[in-house]
Amino acid sequence: MTEAAIAAPRLAARRGASGNWRAAGWSSWAPATLLSFVLACLVLPPIGILLVRSLRGEAGSGSEKVLTLGNYARLFGDPELYVSAANSLIFAACATVVSLFIGGVLAWIVERSDAPFKRLAFFTAIVSLGTPYILYVGSWLFLLGRAGPINDIYRTLSGSNDLLVNVYSLGGMTLVEGFLWSPLVFLMLSTTFRRANAEMEEAARMAGASVASTVWNISMRLAWPAILGLGMFVFIRNIESFDVPVLIGTPSRIRLLTTDVYVSLSHNPPQLGYASAFSAVLLLLVAVLLYFYGRLSRNADRYASVTGKGFRPRPFRLGKSRWIAGSVILLNFALVLVIPLAAIIWNSLTPFVRSFSWAGLSSLSLEHYRAVIGDGSYLPLALNTIIASAAAATAALLLTVLAGWLSVRRWPGSQMLDQLTSVPLVFPGIVLGVALIQVALNSPIPIYGSLWLISIAFLIRYMPYGMRYSYAGVMQIHRELEEAAGVAGATQLGLLRRIVVPLLSPAIISGWLFIFLLGAKELSLAILLAGPDSQTMAVAMFDQWSNGQSGEACALGMAWMCAMTVVASVFYYVSERQARPEGQP
Amino acid sequence: MNSGDILVLDGLSKRYASKQGTGAGIEQIAFRLESGTFFTLLGPSGCGKTTTLRCIAGLEQPDLGSIRLGNTEFFNADKGTNVPLNERDIGMVFQSYAIWPHMTVFENVAFPLRVARDKTHSRDEIKRLVGEALDTVNLGAYGDRSPTQMSGGQQQRVALARAIVRKPRLLLLDEPLSNLDALLREDMRRELKRLQQQLGVTTVYVTHDQAEALEMSDTIAVLNQGRLIQLGTAEDIYNRPRDAFVAGFMGSPNLLRGVTTQGIARDALAEVRLADGGTVMALFPYAVDAAQEVAVSVRPEIIALRSAQVPCGPHTNRLRGVVTNCAFLGHAYRHTLKVGGLTLQSTVGTQTRFEPGAEVALDFAFDQACGLVQDSKGAKARAGMTA
Repeated sequence: MTEAAIAAPRLAARRGASGNWRAAGWSSWAPATLLSFVLACLVLPPIGILLVRSLRGEAGSGSEKVLTLGNYARLFGDPELYVSAANSLIFAACATVVSLFIGGVLAWIVERSDAPFKRLAFFTAIVSLGTPYILYVGSWLFLLGRAGPINDIYRTLSGSNDLLVNVYSLGGMTLVEGFLWSPLVFLMLSTTFRRANAEMEEAARMAGASVASTVWNISMRLAWPAILGLGMFVFIRNIESFDVPVLIGTPSRIRLLTTDVYVSLSHNPPQLGYASAFSAVLLLLVAVLLYFYGRLSRNADRYASVTGKGFRPRPFRLGKSRWIAGSVILLNFALVLVIPLAAIIWNSLTPFVRSFSWAGLSSLSLEHYRAVIGDGSYLPLALNTIIASAAAATAALLLTVLAGWLSVRRWPGSQMLDQLTSVPLVFPGIVLGVALIQVALNSPIPIYGSLWLISIAFLIRYMPYGMRYSYAGVMQIHRELEEAAGVAGATQLGLLRRIVVPLLSPAIISGWLFIFLLGAKELSLAILLAGPDSQTMAVAMFDQWSNGQSGEACALGMAWMCAMTVVASVFYYVSERQARPEGQP
Repeated sequence: MNSGDILVLDGLSKRYASKQGTGAGIEQIAFRLESGTFFTLLGPSGCGKTTTLRCIAGLEQPDLGSIRLGNTEFFNADKGTNVPLNERDIGMVFQSYAIWPHMTVFENVAFPLRVARDKTHSRDEIKRLVGEALDTVNLGAYGDRSPTQMSGGQQQRVALARAIVRKPRLLLLDEPLSNLDALLREDMRRELKRLQQQLGVTTVYVTHDQAEALEMSDTIAVLNQGRLIQLGTAEDIYNRPRDAFVAGFMGSPNLLRGVTTQGIARDALAEVRLADGGTVMALFPYAVDAAQEVAVSVRPEIIALRSAQVPCGPHTNRLRGVVTNCAFLGHAYRHTLKVGGLTLQSTVGTQTRFEPGAEVALDFAFDQACGLVQDSKGAKARAGMTA
């Protein structure tokens, strides 16, 4: 008993010490601390410089060095801000509802019912993952536009000169944005529905509930946190959205927050202080939204009904209505893929913009394709895009695999790693662009306008996604697999190389391809940061579109889309294999 | 093969801060294992047995005490020594087997040789040693297989082969049989024991299954709430449990609580006054003071059930009770009885059967009833060990 009494104070003193089988002394602190420092150097300067710059006057106005709240005063004093803010919120909310509805219904039909054509739904989603947004937006603008087939048919039928749909409106923007996001919503929700424990639904059926009542009271309630979380996520992304607002909103004079920032930079001279203040406000808005998103997704764990055992959810039998469900899949295929694609192809083949017509058939030509292929200037563009996206994806995965491993395994000093890699989530693309312009202008190394800057921008923006893949991947590796390697005599570096990385490879490949795909179609960052020699595909298409060369933009887009669809298919294939429970071939 | 080393633990303690505990803490664990012993850490979940094992492996760092294997001091809190786990030369089988799914069976087993720091093995040597290890566990023909296609029992053997391939100085087994189905588990018990004897390696085995511990071990340590309660041979633990907890854990559901009427010497018969006022005679394997709270352990199979009219034999305790349930077990009937406020169990041969509601006498010999202190706190066991 006396031994224990003497021991007690020493025990208390030791408890704070770093007890870790992986390393002792300084070598247990070094890796995580060093990595935290590197990450902080990457993600913190953009925020800092944005805040500092927002408190200074404009260049040339004489007040450049003075600290002032003038930018904020101008911003909040402008009544147009509140119009833009209201537009942004309405746009984001309605588009979220549209994509959740389309994606959700489709995901349920595909995962939980016996409807036909299920593979078609995945095919649709994957091809659309590889399609640059600008191409999509362009095709919908054409389809719903003044000269497009829908208004054309309406005019022919009614004989009037009015438009049935005016796509250049907030409603039109909302619809197009909703379509853009529905494939991703579908893919994410189908994972949720697939993992749902079918026994809970069966228990409801056994208790006497009808299919409809089971779906409403059990399936939907269980998936509700996931749907809500995803809805919040899509809403945030819609607030940050740039492609649709700039392509549809700006020509029709509908102002949104992101386009306002862009416009203030297009002034000559660019109003950096004003844009910074604006960006800082946007940053705050997104940070608040993310905070609620975080709380929402934490609650989601409560509903998790995922069990480790390899079960296979049994689909509901829909009876005769399975053909109705099947036609929903077909309709989605038509709406998301066939019709826009047809419009793009049609546009790429006609010498000038005209509606679908038999008369138009005779004038079809491959001239735009010839122009695109013949023009050597597109090859560097493709290379730029591939290099920047690939470099960003590689660097992001290198950093996040290490960060994910260190923080899941709770290395001393790793507490901040998860937060540091998640910081960039608060940047809308356009805001990060504004910040990085200024980082580059103040940097001792001349990186302004270079491909380096674009790669770094992509790296910062997409690092959070890399972290999600890496973190989740390490979580799936049973602790004992690493402990066994340690006991067997491996060093930490050895077990990282021989055990962790090989086991993580599906997650690494998925994460890499995901970031690559996002980078390959990123417009908002590239449009602000691209110099003369560092143009990317998305920027080139945007320029062509803005210059009225929609035919060439479509031809270029088609070629690019084909290449990216291949990447997207590999991505989907790898992610599917990864989602399969361990031990199955 | 290897003759194994002497393993000594002394005053080993580890406490967890209440929130983040991944296992139970341990208090002053001490024991000494002779070379080649098959040693079992036995106890309910959360008793600290896995924590002890992980401390030996180097996966956890104790707060106090020391661990020594042969001439090597693995850990000593006072001197600040702590050999990293990858330099301890230990073989370990994990509860989940921890077979790396991205490697073949051969590569899994070869891993400890490939990462060995003390010497590099040639390609032929690796092939020979892995072959030997796989042969030892009867998996000689499975080297090229992917472990993910193997059954639980086969994966278990791969894990074992990997643990012994380097001829380690110590073998640690963390509930290796708990994921196998009942029949396979029986086979593997004998298999493991045979293997351990063949290799002669000192082995520490963790389990919560007392039948497993009894069948396999040379020495058993019973742990409860982080303390070592009793250390001894299988017969010792079963026949002379240290206290009521050990008796209960080793499969005795009948504990009659009471108070001693006088001081009792070791191995003496003495009277115990039960809570309801009656008395029984019991054999006390350890000395007990007067007026101590004690429990009398009576195994279900030594209670004979008789009609209440049959007279009681000599040197026999008799309790009276009512049958509440009678279950057929195949080889016997298990009667559940209400005796005063207590519920007792009696397992009797198939020739005796009482219907529920029957009033019966429960007879058991004086020297078959085992008188025990309720909670020894492990104090005596520890004192005996470190001496």
